[in-house]
Amino acid sequence: MEELGIQILKSAVSGLIMGLVFALVALGLTVIFGVMDIVNFAHGEFLMVGMYTTLLTSPLLGVDPVLTLPLAGLVGAVLGVMCYFGLIRFLLRGPMIAQLFGTFGLMIFLRNLALLFMGSEPRIVHEGWLVGKSILVGPGVVLESTKVAAAALSLISFAVVWWFINRTRVGKAITATSLDAEGARYMGISTEYMNALAWAVGGASVGVAGGLLVNFWPVEPGVGLLFTMIAFATVALGGFGSVRGALVAGILIGFIVNLPPVWDAILRSIDAAGLRGLEIHSFKYTMVYAVYFLIMVLRPQGLFGWKQ
Amino acid sequence: MRKIALVSAIVLLAAMLVPAMAWSAPKEIKIGVIYPLTGPAAAAGRELRAGAELAAEIANKVMPNINMDMAKNAGVKSLGGAKITLIIKDHQGNPQLGADLAKKLILDDKVVGILGCYYSSVTKTVSAVCERYGVPMINGSSTSPTLTKRGFKWFWRTTPHDKWFTKDLFEFLVGMTKGKAKGVKAVPMADLNPLAAACEKTEWGSNVAIEIKNFAKEYGFTLASDILYAAKSPDLSSEVQSMIAAKPGAMLFASYTSDALLMIKTLKSMKAKPKIIWGQDAGFDKPEFVALGDDIVGILTRSVFLPSVVKMKPLSGQVNDLYVKMMGHDLGGASARSFTGLQTWVYVLEKAGSTEPKAIQAACNTISIPGDQLVVPWVGIKFSTKGEEIGQNVLGGGLIGQYQKQKDGKIGLEVVYPFDIATAPMVYPFQGY
Repeated sequence: MEELGIQILKSAVSGLIMGLVFALVALGLTVIFGVMDIVNFAHGEFLMVGMYTTLLTSPLLGVDPVLTLPLAGLVGAVLGVMCYFGLIRFLLRGPMIAQLFGTFGLMIFLRNLALLFMGSEPRIVHEGWLVGKSILVGPGVVLESTKVAAAALSLISFAVVWWFINRTRVGKAITATSLDAEGARYMGISTEYMNALAWAVGGASVGVAGGLLVNFWPVEPGVGLLFTMIAFATVALGGFGSVRGALVAGILIGFIVNLPPVWDAILRSIDAAGLRGLEIHSFKYTMVYAVYFLIMVLRPQGLFGWKQ
Repeated sequence: MRKIALVSAIVLLAAMLVPAMAWSAPKEIKIGVIYPLTGPAAAAGRELRAGAELAAEIANKVMPNINMDMAKNAGVKSLGGAKITLIIKDHQGNPQLGADLAKKLILDDKVVGILGCYYSSVTKTVSAVCERYGVPMINGSSTSPTLTKRGFKWFWRTTPHDKWFTKDLFEFLVGMTKGKAKGVKAVPMADLNPLAAACEKTEWGSNVAIEIKNFAKEYGFTLASDILYAAKSPDLSSEVQSMIAAKPGAMLFASYTSDALLMIKTLKSMKAKPKIIWGQDAGFDKPEFVALGDDIVGILTRSVFLPSVVKMKPLSGQVNDLYVKMMGHDLGGASARSFTGLQTWVYVLEKAGSTEPKAIQAACNTISIPGDQLVVPWVGIKFSTKGEEIGQNVLGGGLIGQYQKQKDGKIGLEVVYPFDIATAPMVYPFQGY
């Protein structure tokens, strides 16, 4: 029983941390959608670009990977703005389907560009302040430094984005653009500029996330997909466009994917060897999508959604 | 006058026939080679291709300093010195594309036979096409056990498969309890028990998981944790938590590249302390894995060829030298097996003395290549023709290597199993994180 208690604690802590990481990746996606009603399929590729930025610039500049995070954010922001002015602005004139295929095409383009220049082999940062470090916070509860840092960054990013959207004039202009673009234009708000800003904020947040994640996760051109699948579920679960929703949904998903060890501990504590065949580890993401499905059926706008 | 005309007609006819008969022995023998040259396994594809090309080069030239029968002749002697020509195609890891390429090779290029395809899933579809057209296929590098259990008449596999490799692991563990490992005293079984396994959940990994489960039972080990996970997963911490909670003596993995890296990173950060970590090749045998440096010292991986094999097999060293000249690095599991696959093709053609499918089939079923002809450390090559498995080489064998810090400070693999050919004392127990 004691083992079970410890395992629940362990899973809760690592669920919370991992949930914050998922939320961090989803943040940029929800910001862009909230402002422009565009689902950015290339979001994961922005993450990949952030990862490669840190991987390549850290040895080049001779600094710790963590110190290259502002650069990764900058590259993400510039990429976001470039994509907006080079592609999205034109897609906005077309029907919804054009926007979907447009960002999908952007995803394939960026992925293959990475394949061309970086090759298909996974690569990883080998040395750094966060690499391979962990913190012992109790009986057998070990936290990976990279994940803790990413979780902290996640909280900070959410606070900053929330403050920016809700407490600054520019943020209010962004909100106005997202609620009624035409009305905002009559009020003298440059909606073009607001849209570009949303892409910059979205790109920067996911770029920084990528720069931090590469301290722990190997990067390869297809890495974006691993995280975007979860990011889409997070954003849809929390409500498209809701910053608070992304945070809560991310944490919820973190808890769900950390359930299998608790299940194993329960089986061990009641000594039910016969039930061991119920292999729930391989279904952990199935559970995430099952919850997603349920919420979509019961509350289509998501937990905190305000856009229908 | 009529007589002269008749004689001259006969002479003329004969003159026309003689060169025709001489021409009927082919000048080149086309072999279709299908490998993943682009896509996620492109790096392995480059090695596979180079391995086959090197074998073809040795077969086509006389190379007196290579101690191998096929290096003594230029081309295939029994076919009048006909040269081997490889027609290389890229299946991109796609079974359907592989099958289409095989059809094209057979119908358009009129190849004598096929070598490939690395991915078990592609080998499955390509061999089905070969079976339908009655064209021989030799496979050197796919390890799914089911491939040779289909009773195919035109498919032969030189490499041992995952069942053998997993059996090797358990022979090795049991050997350790008997003190057979070089430099390690007998280890009580309780130190290695229980086992915890985590395998990725596609055809390859889930088959390995089944073999581990079966052999654990057969050899009297307890498998306390037995996890299947998605190789393309953003997080493996819940899997690692469950494995650590089972307090295993040995942790066993079947992982591809990026999940192997993530697994080791997660094991390290969660401070796992098993006595043994073993990986079923694949991700555990890639350059980026080796780049993890000190974190992998003591980790075991199964393989079919390790650079240290050249220490005990001079022939491997000779071929390795040529390979290094060609590629800039040593032969590895993929290239050595691809080399052996094409080499088998050459020996089979030599024995058949014909490019007729029936003759090649008969040659495959009766061939016996001794181990001293091979770069891989096997007893030889001889295909099974009856029983549960058809076309499987029964004289192959696997190796278990251990990552150790070498004199030059680099991390390299040393052979620890089979025990009698160990190249270095084993590091035991694993240092832990």
